[in-house]
Amino acid sequence: MSGLELINFYVIPGLISGSIYALGAIGITLIFGILRYAHFAHGDMATLGAYVALGLVGSLALSPWVALPIAMAITALVAVVLDRVFYRHLETRPKILTVMASLGVALMLRSVVQVVWGVDPQVYSTGIVRAESYGGLMLRSRELITFATATGLVLFLMAFLRYTRWGKAMRAMSDNPELARLCGVNNEAVTRLTWVIAGALAAAAGFFLGINTELNTMMGWSALLAMFAAAILGGVGRVEGAVVGGLVIGLVEELSVLVLPSQYKMATAFVILILILLVRPQGIFKGKVL
Amino acid sequence: MTYRSQLVASLAAAGLIATSSAAFAEAKVALMGGITGPIAGMAPAMIASMKLALDQANAAGLAIGKITYQEFDCGCNPQVATDAATKAVNVFGADAAVGPACSGALLAAVNSVTIPAGVLVVSPSATSPKITDLDDKDLVFRTVPSDDFQGRALARTLLERGVKKVAVAYINNDYGKGLAEAFKAEFEAKGGTITQFRGHEDKKASYRSDLAELAKGGADTLVLFDYGNASGMTILRQAIENGFFKQFVGADGMRDENLIKTLGEANLKHFFVSAPVGEAGAAFEKFAEAARKAGLDPNATFAATSYDAAALVALALEAAKGDKAKLPQALRAVATAPGERIYPGEWEKAKQLLAEGKEIDYKGASGDHEFDAKGDVPGSYAFFKVEGGTYKEVQKMK
Repeated sequence: MSGLELINFYVIPGLISGSIYALGAIGITLIFGILRYAHFAHGDMATLGAYVALGLVGSLALSPWVALPIAMAITALVAVVLDRVFYRHLETRPKILTVMASLGVALMLRSVVQVVWGVDPQVYSTGIVRAESYGGLMLRSRELITFATATGLVLFLMAFLRYTRWGKAMRAMSDNPELARLCGVNNEAVTRLTWVIAGALAAAAGFFLGINTELNTMMGWSALLAMFAAAILGGVGRVEGAVVGGLVIGLVEELSVLVLPSQYKMATAFVILILILLVRPQGIFKGKVL
Repeated sequence: MTYRSQLVASLAAAGLIATSSAAFAEAKVALMGGITGPIAGMAPAMIASMKLALDQANAAGLAIGKITYQEFDCGCNPQVATDAATKAVNVFGADAAVGPACSGALLAAVNSVTIPAGVLVVSPSATSPKITDLDDKDLVFRTVPSDDFQGRALARTLLERGVKKVAVAYINNDYGKGLAEAFKAEFEAKGGTITQFRGHEDKKASYRSDLAELAKGGADTLVLFDYGNASGMTILRQAIENGFFKQFVGADGMRDENLIKTLGEANLKHFFVSAPVGEAGAAFEKFAEAARKAGLDPNATFAATSYDAAALVALALEAAKGDKAKLPQALRAVATAPGERIYPGEWEKAKQLLAEGKEIDYKGASGDHEFDAKGDVPGSYAFFKVEGGTYKEVQKMK
């Protein structure tokens, strides 16, 4: 096997899946870090975002790339509403209740998508796109855009967290919510902002998953495990960790096919998850220990 | 003898009586469908077709009296199906069952519940070749052909069309694996070469690395046993986009109209599928007429096989004259030649012939149902290509 073949059919697809996992994992890691529970509806939030974009493409005849930011905004709004309607009431109760509630929300979101858009797989645009060769590298514009947009969103988010007042407030609340409140951080506003970011990024993850394959109502749920594995691998609460974790999971999944039967592709994310919990529970970037 | 030992003795005697007389006062049939789960879309038509057959039988007034039936949900899932079968046998007291609909569900339910309980099972839709080799004490039948036939017929058809070297990819479940193994056995036995033989899991974003592995060995044709509304579509798309393979062949699971719509007909010139074809004839027409009258679509997936499965169970109950132990034997007698031909809906005639002690041979809506020693029926299949937004028959498969 030539090096180019390795890059074209194993590394590039791995990086694309990895960027998608990373976008989802960032939301999971932020919610984990700041609100302190595992949000199981995150995958289905991604599904919803993808279908909202599909709805915009179908009804307003928008280009998918124009529909993406609108879908991100709508999904962010939905995330805030979900928090207000379901999760906020459980704030003072044990966190496990919120985790269970998020499972229920996951089922609800999926059912809504199934009722509105049906259960058959759908696509943003029909037909197929053959790759163009860049000196032997086989790439499609949608793959370049996926990678570029994911990178852009991550850099923007990291700058936001590091340099703005709101970013600092989020980090403060992640470190210690009581102390943050004493220092005048508005916990409620930070919670809302967390949901806006998580929802928008989830929608982007779902959209890129959909545009690189097809949309189906289980797409988010089946990617959820990989996203969780990415968040834990990188270190809970660490955005850069979620990105590295996502890319590692995506690459390992694709490269595992070289040595393992393809049936075990899915299992590699599990194996990484178990290993990291055993060997280094704080993750690569020293996040919270679960 | 103490009071207690008397009690034990009488209970034992009662038990003996209960086991020696297997006759039933009332015939009970469990309708086991995949009402929830992945084939939930097909279940309503299947259940309704089963009910249609049993209602017709009851209307004709069989000698064994009214057949009572009840629905059970198998969820197309082994655990759910085992629970449902336990309920059907122990609580409802079923003498026979129609279903379960899915292969995995059926295998679990019959192994742990119905075979030990001696309950006859006739499935209208479980196609896994694994069911053929069950140690089933002749209690498991099906009115749908095993995928073993389809896999082998497809292997012969490809060789006949001059395809000698293929790579095989299958979805890692009872359906995909069963088909792939049947195909492999026949293809290699008849002199074909399989360069790669790989399973895969559903719902991944990328199958490009799988495809790169499959392409090693230099086959031009990819045989893909998967579902056209799941990973089958993703694999086909990524194969065409990346220039892997020149020709693609799928089985009935890939025959999905939505696939043509999403990938575009122009891209599917080298895509072929095999699928079972019904035997359009007098028998099907009789069923279709009754189904339409009852507000059912006779062409719904597995509607005809469901009707036949229930009809055969009813005829077997009548022929066994209430002896549960004789049900499998009776089922073979009413379904296979020799005997007077009985078409769907001819209950009065069947009842009369059976009362006179004559043999009957049921010719069903979905085929003749000449069960082989393993309780399987042969099927007829055709090879399709994509044309005009749908699948068009190219040739029959032998």
